Amino acid sequence: MDAATTAAMLHTLQDPTGIPSHPLIFQVLMVLTWVPHILFVNISLGAALMGLYAFTRRHDPHWRALSEAMTKVAKVGVSLLIVLGVAPLLFTQTIYDPQWYASNVLSASWVIGFIFTLTIGYLAWFAFYMKNHGEHAPGWIFWLGAFGLAMFLLDGFIMHVLAYQGLRPEQWLAWYTPGGHVDMSGTSIHAYELSRFGFLMAMSVTVFGTFMIAYGDYFKVRTDRSPAYLTFARNLGNHIAIAGAALQMVFLLWWLMDVPAELHIWTHAMTWLLLLYLGVLFAAVWIARGKTEGQGYRLLTMSVGMAGLVAIFREVLRMAYMAPFQYNVLDYKVNWDVPSFVLFLFTIIGVGGLMGGFIITLVYKAGRVKGAYQADATVTKLGTGSVAATAIWVATFLGVGIWIWLRNNL
Amino acid sequence: MLEMLGLYPQWYVPGIGTAWVMGIIGTIHVLASHTSVGASWLFALLAQKSVNENKPEIMTYLKKYGMFLLAFSYIIGSITGPGIWYSVTVASPRGISGLIHNFVWLWATEWVFFFVEVVGVYAMVYLIGKIDNKTYLKLAWSFAVASWATMILIVPILSFMMWPGNDRWYNTGSTFDAAFNLNYFAHLGIRTAFMFAVAGAVGGIIAATLKDRETRIEITRFLSKMGLAGMFLMLVMFMWYTVTLPPTARMIMEVQMMPKYGSILGALLIATLLYFLFTAWKPMYLRQSIAVVMTLAIGLFGLWPEERSRESMRKPYVAGQYIYSNQFFARDVPGKGVVSDMPLIEAKGVLATNYFVPDDLRKITPENQMRAGELLTKVMCANCHSLEPKGALRPLPALFGFSTEPKMIQAYLDGALYHGKIPYMPRMPLPEDERAAIAAYIASLSDGKAPSTVVSQAAQDIHPSHTKGVN
Repeated sequence: MDAATTAAMLHTLQDPTGIPSHPLIFQVLMVLTWVPHILFVNISLGAALMGLYAFTRRHDPHWRALSEAMTKVAKVGVSLLIVLGVAPLLFTQTIYDPQWYASNVLSASWVIGFIFTLTIGYLAWFAFYMKNHGEHAPGWIFWLGAFGLAMFLLDGFIMHVLAYQGLRPEQWLAWYTPGGHVDMSGTSIHAYELSRFGFLMAMSVTVFGTFMIAYGDYFKVRTDRSPAYLTFARNLGNHIAIAGAALQMVFLLWWLMDVPAELHIWTHAMTWLLLLYLGVLFAAVWIARGKTEGQGYRLLTMSVGMAGLVAIFREVLRMAYMAPFQYNVLDYKVNWDVPSFVLFLFTIIGVGGLMGGFIITLVYKAGRVKGAYQADATVTKLGTGSVAATAIWVATFLGVGIWIWLRNNL
Repeated sequence: MLEMLGLYPQWYVPGIGTAWVMGIIGTIHVLASHTSVGASWLFALLAQKSVNENKPEIMTYLKKYGMFLLAFSYIIGSITGPGIWYSVTVASPRGISGLIHNFVWLWATEWVFFFVEVVGVYAMVYLIGKIDNKTYLKLAWSFAVASWATMILIVPILSFMMWPGNDRWYNTGSTFDAAFNLNYFAHLGIRTAFMFAVAGAVGGIIAATLKDRETRIEITRFLSKMGLAGMFLMLVMFMWYTVTLPPTARMIMEVQMMPKYGSILGALLIATLLYFLFTAWKPMYLRQSIAVVMTLAIGLFGLWPEERSRESMRKPYVAGQYIYSNQFFARDVPGKGVVSDMPLIEAKGVLATNYFVPDDLRKITPENQMRAGELLTKVMCANCHSLEPKGALRPLPALFGFSTEPKMIQAYLDGALYHGKIPYMPRMPLPEDERAAIAAYIASLSDGKAPSTVVSQAAQDIHPSHTKGVN
C-alpha cells in the first residue's frame, strides 16, 4: 500500500469517538506506565532464569537459598508485570488504536495463544515454586520451571511481534491478503525484529543484576540472613549487571542499524542519550566490582532511569515510523470529558497514594523484621487513611451515580 | 457522508466462531474474578471475627484459603481479565475501541484498584500472623472495598454494552451519562450477590480439609450463610435487572434464552440453594470433591449460559446500541461526532469502501462473485454466525434451511435485512450485487447436504423466529 493510502487508512481507522483528554496526557501516561511494566518483566525473567540455574546447584546452601528466593520473586513479579501492563496497553489502544488493533487481528490466533500459554506457564511456575523448598526438592521439578520460563519468553516474543507489526501499516493489506487471497486465520506471525527483542531481553540481564545487588542490601538488617550469602548475591548480581549492560549496548547498535535509514534515527538526540546513559551505567556497575555493599539502591535506581529512557526512545521511534503517514497522536480528535479525568486523578492520588503507599510501606517494613511486625505511627496513619480513602471513594462514586441515574432515567 | 469505512481486518474461527472464544475466556474469568472479589469480603469478615472472638485458628483457614486463591483466582483471574480484553480486541476491534474511547478514564481508574488489589492479595496472604491484628484488619478491609471497587468500575462498561437506556449520552457524549445507564445498578447488584454466592461455594473447597472440627463447622456454616444471602439477593436483583433491559433483549430472553437455558438455570438454582442449606445443616458432611463439583457446576451451568445469553440479548448491537455486532456504526452519536456507516454502505457497498479488500474484489464480476460473496458474508455475518453447516454458532446454512437456492436467500437480504426489520439483526442496506454475491455464497455452503425437509426442521429448532423471517 502506498504512503498516501496508508495515511488515509490510518486516519479512517482512528476511533471517531475521539479521546476524552489532550493526547499528550495519554502519550505521557503511556510512556510512564510502560516503565514499571518492563522493569517487572525484566526482573521476573531474570529471576526465573536465576531460580532455575541456582536450582541445578542446590547442594550448595547459598545457591539453594538463592533459588528459593528468586523462584518467589518471579512468582510475584509475573503477577505484577501483568497488572502493570494493563495501563500502558490501555493508553496505547487509546492513541495508537489503528496500529494495535490491526496488528492483533492479523495475528489473532497468537493473541489468544498468549492468554493460554501465559496461564499454563504461570501455573507451571507456581507448581515449581510450591515444590522448590529445601535440599531434597525433587529434580524433575526443574522441567516445570523451565516450561514456565519458556512460556514467559514465548509470550514476551508475541508481545514484541504485536508491537512491531503495528509499526508497519503499509504492509497490513499484503499480510492480510497474501497472493490476493484473504487470510482470516490469524495464524501467521508477519514481522519481528530480533535486534529489538534481543535488546529488551538483554535489558532483563542488566535490571536483574542491579536488582540482586539491591536484594543483598535490603536483607542486610535481617539477622536470619547470613552476611556471606548476601555478599554472594550482591557479587553475583554485579557480574550479571556488567554482562547485561555490555550486551545491551551491542543489541542497541544492532537495533539502530536495523531501523530503516529514512527514519534518520541516528540524528535523534534520544538515540545518543540512550547510548551515553548505557555507557555510564556500564561504568557504574564496573566500578562497583568487589565493593557492592550499599550500592544496590543507587544502581537499581540507575536501571530505572535507563528503563525510562528506553520507554521514551521507543516512543520516539514509533513517532518516526508513523511520520511518513502523517500520523501524529497530537492531532487526535478530542472530546473533553473532565469529570472522568478528575475521577482518575483523585483515585490515583487518593487511593493509589494512600492504599498503595500503605501496603508497600507495610510490606517493606514487615519484610525487614524477623518475626511479627508492630506497625509504627506512619504505617498506622497510612492504614487508617487507606480504609477511609477506599470507603469514601465508593460512597462518592455510587452517590454521584445515583444522582445521575435518577436525573437521566426518571 | 463518510468516504471509507473504518473496518479492520477480520479474524475468523471455523466452527465455534469468535463469539465462543470470547465466551469461553469470559466464563473462566468471571468465575475466577467474582470468586476473588467475594473472597476478599470473606477474608475481611472472617479476620474481623477472628480478632473480635480471639480465634486465631480462623487465620489458619485464611492462610490456606489465600494460597489456594492465589493460584485459582488471582493467577487465572488476572490473566483472563486482560485475556477478555485481548479476545474482544481480535473478535470485535471496533466494539472494544468504542468502549475504550468512551471509558478510558474509568478503565484507568479501575487499573489503580486492580494494582492495589494484586499487591494487596500477596500482603494479605503472606502477612497473616506477621503483623499486628489492628493493622491486618485495616489491610483486610481496604482490600475488600478496593476489590469491590474493581467491580463497581467494570459494570458501567458491561451494562453500557447492553444499552444506555435513554437518549442523553447520545447527545452529551459524557462518560458518566454512559456509565450510570439504566441497567447499571441492577447489573451491579446481580454481580455483587453472585460474588458472595460463588465465594461461599469456592470457600468450601478449603474448609472441607480443615482438621479442627470446631473451626471447620464454624467456617462451613459461615460460608453457607454467605452463599444463601448471595443467592437470595441475586434473585431479587435479577427481577430488577430484567426490567432495565431493552425491549428487544427482553423479547430474546423470553423467546430464545429461557427455552434454551431456563431449565438448566432453574435446576442449578435449586441445587445451589440445597447445597448451601445442607452444608449449613450438616457442615461435617461437606467433602472437598462436592465443593469442587459445585464450583464447576456454577461455572458450566450458570456462567456459561449467562455469558452466552448476555451476548445474545445485546443483539444486534455490541455496544451502546450504536455499534452493531458486525462492527458497523448503526447510528449517529452527535455528542461524540460519530456518523452512521449505513448511508455509505447503502450508496457504495462494502467492497469499495473497506481498505482490507484485495483489489480484484472491489468490483464484483461473474468470475469473482463467489470469492466476493465469501468475503462479504464473513464481514457482515461471521461475528454471530458459523458458516459451516454444523457450526456451533447459529450456523447460517441451517438458518436458511440448507437452501441451495440463492434467490430464496436473497429475498431475505433484500427485504427484512435491507430495511432492518428484524429486531435482533443488524440493518444491512447493501447494494444489489453484494446481496446477490452473499446469497450465492451462502447457497453454495449447503451444496450436497441433507434433504431440505429434514434440515428445515432442524433449522426451526435452532432459531425459529429467524427462519420464519427467511421464509
